[in-house]
This record gives sequence, structure tokens and C-alpha cells, in this order.
Amino acid sequence: MRLLGPIPFGIWIWCAVGASALVVGAYIIKMRRRRFEVPFSQLWKRVLEQKDANSLWKQLKRLISLLLILMIVGLLLFAALDPTLGAVDRKARSVVILLDSSASMKALDGDDAGKHTRMDIAKQKAKRLIDGMGGGDVAMVMRVDGQATPMSRFSSDGPVLDKIVDGISASDTPADLPRALGAAADALRDRKNPLIVLVSDGAFPEQQLGQVAWDAAGKSLSAVDLSGIDVRYIPVGHRSDNVGIVAFNVRRYIANKAAYEVFIEIQNFGTEPAHRDLYLYNGANPVHEPQRIDLAPGQKVRQIYDKLPISEENQLRAALKPLNTAGGSDPFALDDTAYALLPARKKQKVLMVTEDNLFLEGALLVYDNIDPLKVSPAEYAAKPSLADGMDVVIFDDYTPDALPPPPASLLFFHPTGPNSPFKVTGELAAPRITEVDEGHPVMRWVAMSDVYMDKSNTFAIDPKLGESAVAFSVRDAIIAAKRDGHRKILAFGFSLPSAGRESATDLPMRVAFPMLLVNTLDWFAGDQADLLTTYATGKRERVPLDGVVGATEADVRGPDGSTTKTPVLDGLATFYGTHVGYYDLTAKAADGTMMSQIQLAANLASPTESDIAPSTKLTLGGRELKAPEAFAITHSRKLWIYILLLAGALIVTEWVTYHRRVTV
Amino acid sequence: MAAVSKPAAPSKRDNRAADRTGLFDERFLKTLEHLHMVSRKVFSGALRAERRTRKVGSGIEFADHRTYARGDDFRYIDWNLYGRLDKLLLRLFEEEEDLHIYILIDVSDSMAIGQPLPKLHYAMQVGAALTYVGLANLDRVAIIPFSDRLIGRLPPSRGKNRIFRVFDFLQKCDIGGKTQLAECMKDFVTQNKRRGLAVVISDFYDPEGFEQGINTLRYHKFEPFVLQVYDQREAAPKLHGDLALVDCETGDTREVTVSRSLLEAYEREHEKYCKELEDYCTKYAMPFFRTHTAIPFDELVLKIFRSGGFLR
Repeated sequence: MRLLGPIPFGIWIWCAVGASALVVGAYIIKMRRRRFEVPFSQLWKRVLEQKDANSLWKQLKRLISLLLILMIVGLLLFAALDPTLGAVDRKARSVVILLDSSASMKALDGDDAGKHTRMDIAKQKAKRLIDGMGGGDVAMVMRVDGQATPMSRFSSDGPVLDKIVDGISASDTPADLPRALGAAADALRDRKNPLIVLVSDGAFPEQQLGQVAWDAAGKSLSAVDLSGIDVRYIPVGHRSDNVGIVAFNVRRYIANKAAYEVFIEIQNFGTEPAHRDLYLYNGANPVHEPQRIDLAPGQKVRQIYDKLPISEENQLRAALKPLNTAGGSDPFALDDTAYALLPARKKQKVLMVTEDNLFLEGALLVYDNIDPLKVSPAEYAAKPSLADGMDVVIFDDYTPDALPPPPASLLFFHPTGPNSPFKVTGELAAPRITEVDEGHPVMRWVAMSDVYMDKSNTFAIDPKLGESAVAFSVRDAIIAAKRDGHRKILAFGFSLPSAGRESATDLPMRVAFPMLLVNTLDWFAGDQADLLTTYATGKRERVPLDGVVGATEADVRGPDGSTTKTPVLDGLATFYGTHVGYYDLTAKAADGTMMSQIQLAANLASPTESDIAPSTKLTLGGRELKAPEAFAITHSRKLWIYILLLAGALIVTEWVTYHRRVTV
Repeated sequence: MAAVSKPAAPSKRDNRAADRTGLFDERFLKTLEHLHMVSRKVFSGALRAERRTRKVGSGIEFADHRTYARGDDFRYIDWNLYGRLDKLLLRLFEEEEDLHIYILIDVSDSMAIGQPLPKLHYAMQVGAALTYVGLANLDRVAIIPFSDRLIGRLPPSRGKNRIFRVFDFLQKCDIGGKTQLAECMKDFVTQNKRRGLAVVISDFYDPEGFEQGINTLRYHKFEPFVLQVYDQREAAPKLHGDLALVDCETGDTREVTVSRSLLEAYEREHEKYCKELEDYCTKYAMPFFRTHTAIPFDELVLKIFRSGGFLR
């Protein structure tokens, strides 16, 4: 007999001592009796004097009652230890069933008719394995996809394990086999006769199959230690023909943000030629005519669609559609569709407060996504409300008495005086830009090293206020930026050339100037040209949320409409896609107002998963995995139910004897 | 298992016994009248409050003859006998006098117990009924409540119009205290020199015994009339479990675990105690009645009448 209960024996002993002390104490303490008034206690006295002759017997009866209660408590505690007969059988095994739930398990080649997925067949085989377990065997079911998720504890309860297996479904993520093997090895540590059974199609990258050590001595740190563990493999699936989209990206042109180009990579993983029609949609509208793709076995085709016009819709979808010819279809549909997103573009309202600066106005002309309005400083001073409703206000060599209220972002050229958004510390004559913050979005693709200027104000930078220097002249900041809540402010220490101005700079004559303005307006709009919006499923990514300050979590709305929470740290949200499609990430302030929202697309984008060719033989760490042998027939019998029944019988006996006054 | 502890303070008394406002209502009065009528039928020969005594005197009922002595009244010489026997014999008549009835009601704490009616109320109703019949027969009836002493006294009176004073007295008299029958009877015989019928209505739960009290009445030529009142729950209590039994008079507490055998033993003991009282009264030819409170009081009174122990 073996005790399989979850309670450590030491704790059990303490529980037993405590319970016994409680029971004995309950018998020792004086009973609080109900008072009852009688008219003549002499009669009771006479009766009790006769009865007291039997007091020794009465004490003994009370002792019997105490012993009964102690026996009941003892039996209950013993049942908690889960005593099991036959569990010590030497052949009894502890099994972890790794059920592959990766994307390739969705392939519809589980049976010859193509009606069942690999996942269906894998679950059937796992249940068959569970049903074949001996009485002393215990098993744990673990789901394997991008993560390793234990679905049960070690149990010999076949129906419960079968139910757990039934509840598992395949996800859209690649499998992380080393992680699952590591988790299974940890679960099996210190258990006798450990066994891992992998039920899978074997579609794992070679690199993962090699991260295993069968001998603890000399194993590398990254390898999973499987020493002493028997690992077996049950293959599923039989077809390998598949054509899938393995890459799908879209980008907007830097110079022409009104157009974009699309990159699609398609691969034939089968051993026969394949044919498909490729469709590209922007929203529900086709972007171009369907294109027939013919692929030789193993061939990879890259398609680029350039100069596609932008529209209101930003969701792009590429789809491979089967053809009614030989090699025109495959059993794995998940990688036949891919999703991408164009960063949303918003037309910005820009207010220029300037005295007819041709350089500034001319540079803004290249940017087609703005709605400009020009006023003179005198007009603005007379009516500051002109800035209301504007997305951006540009002050050209003019510093207003008060900054326009948020959310308008502000661009200053040569701010002066105490109302400057950055504290002016002095003025440099003929400064040279010696260092720029290349990581700042404003400075992307911009060269400033040989820009000339007569003079420039310098700024004091206070990082605590969210301020940062974008360009330095030696140690002095001459271009500064900061976030002010949800809006942004950029200030140049020098002024642009204009009629009647003493100072001058050659910046407007350079190619960098319009780029600098475009970068600035993009930064203000939260539009980052290098922001990735398309991710692979099964990988944990950090996604920047523009303007998010103080939020610790964001809502993620998945393609199936379900909503989950994801942590946010320093404005970066953690994104883990489990299904292909579009996701919405929304960060909200404590009061419920929305701080930021972005849309992301998730694709399988995994040639390993798209290569659905099943492996009937799997080699792990140089060792070929065999099929599991039949479990030895062992018998085990759980005793707790019988013990509880006995305890129940004793409780009834105690109850009856007490109420019949036998043990009183 | 039982243990004797120090006497506890008597528990808060159930004041149902103290509330006697509705005890003698209109319905009760009608019952009394009915009892009176029934008593007249039962004792159809009885007339006024005439009770023959062993005294020979000026009554109208012939008793005996005796030899004439000098100084006797000539009017009582039986001239017919003189004619036949040639002897002067004097006719003697039984003297008639009023009967004195003393209703002694136990008002101790033990009498306050009882369901649905406290024994005290029952005893007072029976006492009032007997008083009414006595008053109506023109006997002199006095009511004396007692517990550990005599508590007040309604002086002897007669005539049934006095019944309202009786009601008032019973409703207002003090109650409570321990039962001390011997002491109370001693006081009673000391205070009441006129002999008569002493109706003792009590549960006779006296820790010192009932014999001495009754004997005191007997020794002082009173005619004891014993009426024991008990509650059925006293005789057969429906108790179970672990209890602390508190004596309502002494406050003595006994811890007991009540079992069926214990209850049966108690019932036997209670019956034995009552039997002892009955045997004692039978032995000394004293009228004895035992009743529990579930029997209607008028039924009891009729039973008393039929037995002939109260009115002769």
C-alpha cells in the first residue's frame, strides 16, 4: 500500500496531533448544560443516588464514545493520505502526454478522407494511450504550442484525463518543443519510471530537435535534460503537400506617403508542382487582378506590388485560392491567408504663425497630408483662440505669451524670453551641430553635421520634465524636444532665414529640411514609419503605444472577438498572438479615457509550421524516438472511499449510541 | 452522571403565576354556581349550615335521654316515658353549630410551575370553588395561603355574597418562598383555636416531609382534608440530553444526563412519593385527593363532593 495524498507526511502528523488534541479537549472541557427548573430536586436526588452506583460503567461508556470519535478522526485523516493498494507496483509509470497543439495540427489530413484534422487524430491516440494505462500508472496531459501548458495534475483517473484531452484545440502558433520537454522533465523529476509520450506530426525545426541532452553530464545550458526519462513518439498526419504564404509585409513610401508597396512570399512545401491564384485585398476591395502562381516542388516565389494607392481602408489581406487542377489545393488552410496593416494616416491641421516665410511654407508644400493655415504673429497675439482645434502650431521666430492648450503639438523656431517652452540658457555664435540623437524620430534619415547658422539659442534640458536634447553644439542643446502629456513640443534654437531677419541658416536650402519637417509632423501625429504592425503568432513582442504614460495594462481584442489583458511597461505593450488575424490594442487611463489604440496583424509566418510534412520517425538529440509500448497491467485500488464509508458508519454508530444514551 | 453543585441563585421566576387577573372571571363564577347547584342535588337532605356536633344542646334533632337532675328544665322532661316507665327522663337534643372550614393553599415557588396552568392557579380555583360551596352552605370559611410561613389570612366568613372578597384576596395575596409545611401548620393551629375542617391544597414538595405538618393538624383536633396537586410534566417530564436541574425553591443545581432509564426511574420515584402521601392519609382516615392540573377543577370538586369527604 502506498500513500499518494497531496499532504506532506510531516504536515499530516501535525494535523493528526491537532485534531486528536481538539477531540480530547472537547471531551475534557466541562459541558455547558441547559438549565431546567424542577419543583422538587429531592426526587431527582433519590434517583441519582441509585444511578451513581453505576458511575464507573458510565465513565467507561464515555470513554468508548471518545475512542469512537478518535477513530473517526483517524480514519478521515488516513483517507486524506489517499492510501492506494497496488500503487507501488514496480512497473507503474508516471507519464506526461505532450499533445502537439501547434498550427500544423490543423491540417486536414488526419484520415484518408480528409475529414479530420491531425488534432482530432492526436486526441484519439492520446485517449487510447490513457485508456491503456495500468492501475498504478498516472498521467499528466500537457498542451504544446507556442507555450507549454499543463492541463492536469498526475492522475490515474482515465475519464477525467479523457475529458481534458477532449477540451484541447489547436492554436495558430508554432510549437516550442524544448520548452514543453523541459516542463515535462521538471514534472517527472523524482518520479519512478518517468515517461514522456509526444503525440505530434513531428513538424519541428531541426534546431529544436537538437536542444536535448540524454546525459546530464556535459550538457549545454540551453539543452533540456532528459536523462533517465523514456521519451516516446506517436506520429499523426500523412500528407505533406502545402502551399502557404510565409511572408507578407507592407510599407508606405518615405517620400510618397500616399502610396505603399506590398511584399508577399509564397512557398510550395510539397513534392509536386502546385498552382494557386493569389488575391490581394485592401479591406474588402481587391487591389489588383488575381494572379496565378505556379510553383515547382519546394519553390519559393516572392511577389512585390508597388505604388499601390492608399485609401481609407488600412487592412490588407493576401489570400491563396485553390484551383481545380492537380496540385491546386492542400490540406492546410491556415497559411493560405495573411494579414497586414498600413499605419493609419490622419490629415493634420497646421497653424503657421509667421510673417510670410517662404522657406517654411515651401517646405510644407511637399507634405500632402496637412491642412495648413497661416496667420501673422500680430493676428495670433490678438486672437490666440486661432490655435483651438489645430493639431500642430508652428511659431516662426515668435514666442507667444502663453502656449496653446493641448492637444496641439508645437514647433518653435528660435523661441525667446521666459515664455519659451524650454529654458533659454544663452546664445552661441556660429555654432556647429556636433551631435544628434539619431534614435529620435525627428532625426531619422536626416544629416545635420554641416548645417551653418549665424547664431542659436541654447536650451536647458530637464529630463524630469520629459525633455530631451535632439541636437547639440558640443555640450549645448540647440534643438530640444519634449512630451507634454499627450502632445509633443520641438524647438530649434535658431531662426529660419526670412526677409528682415539678421540671423540666417542654410538649413532650408538642404534636402534635410523638408525631411526634418515631415519627420516632425509624423512624430507629432504618432506615425512612426518603422513601426511594425505585422507580427508572427506564438512570439512575444513588445509593441510601442504612442503617448501612453502611467498605464500598466492594455486591452487586447483578438480576431475572434475575445478580449484579454496584456501588461504595459514604459509605454511598451506585450503582444502574444495565438490566432492569425487583426488585433486591437487599447490602453486606457485610470478614469477610463482612451490613451492610445493601435491595430496589429498576426500571421503564422512560419515556414516550419507550413512545412506540414509529418515525420513518422522523430530523432531527438540524436536518438530516434520509438512508439510507446503497451502499459504493464497493474492493479491499484483506492482505499479512501472505503475508509470514508467506514468513518460514516462509525459516525452513525456514535450518533445512535449517543442518542440512545448508550455512550452517555 | 450527576454532580451536586453549590446552590445556584433561583432562576428568574416565571411570572405567569403572579399574574392572576383573569383567574376568577365570569365563566369561573358560572362554574361555581353550577357546582353549588350540583352539590345541593348530591346532598339533598342537607339544609342550612347545620352541622351536627357531638355536643348535646339546644338543637331540634333528638339525640338521647338522661336521668333528670335537679335544676333541669322541666320542658325537656319526656312525659310519655314517665307515664310508661315511671321515671323522670330528660330528652337531649344534638347541638347544631356552624362548621369552620380552613382552606390552606400552598403558594410556594414550586406551585408556580405547571403547563399550561400553573399549579397555584389550579389550587386557587379549587380553593375558591370549595370556599364558595362552603359559604353557600352558610359555613364559616377562612382562606390561609402559606409557603415557609402563613401569608396573610382571609378571616372566616359566611354567605355566598362573600365570594368576591375571596377572589380579591386570592388575586392579591403574596406568593413565593419555600415549602415548610410543619412550621406553617404549627402556626396555623396556634392562631386558630376553633376546630374545623382544614383543607390543605399543596403539591407537598417539602424537603422535610409532609408528615409532621399533617400530624400537627390531627393532634390539634382539626380534620385534615389533603388535596395534592401536581403537574403531569412533573410526574413524567419530557427531558433529554445534558441538563443542569435547578430546584426552583432551594436553588440546588444537579447536573444530569437524562436518559430513558433515568426518566423511568424518576417517574417511579415520583409515583412512590405520591403513594406515600396517599397511604399516610388512608392510614389515618383522612380524606385524600390527588389531581393533576390537566383535570378541570370543577371535575375535581364534583369528585370531592361525590366522595362525601367535604360536605357531610
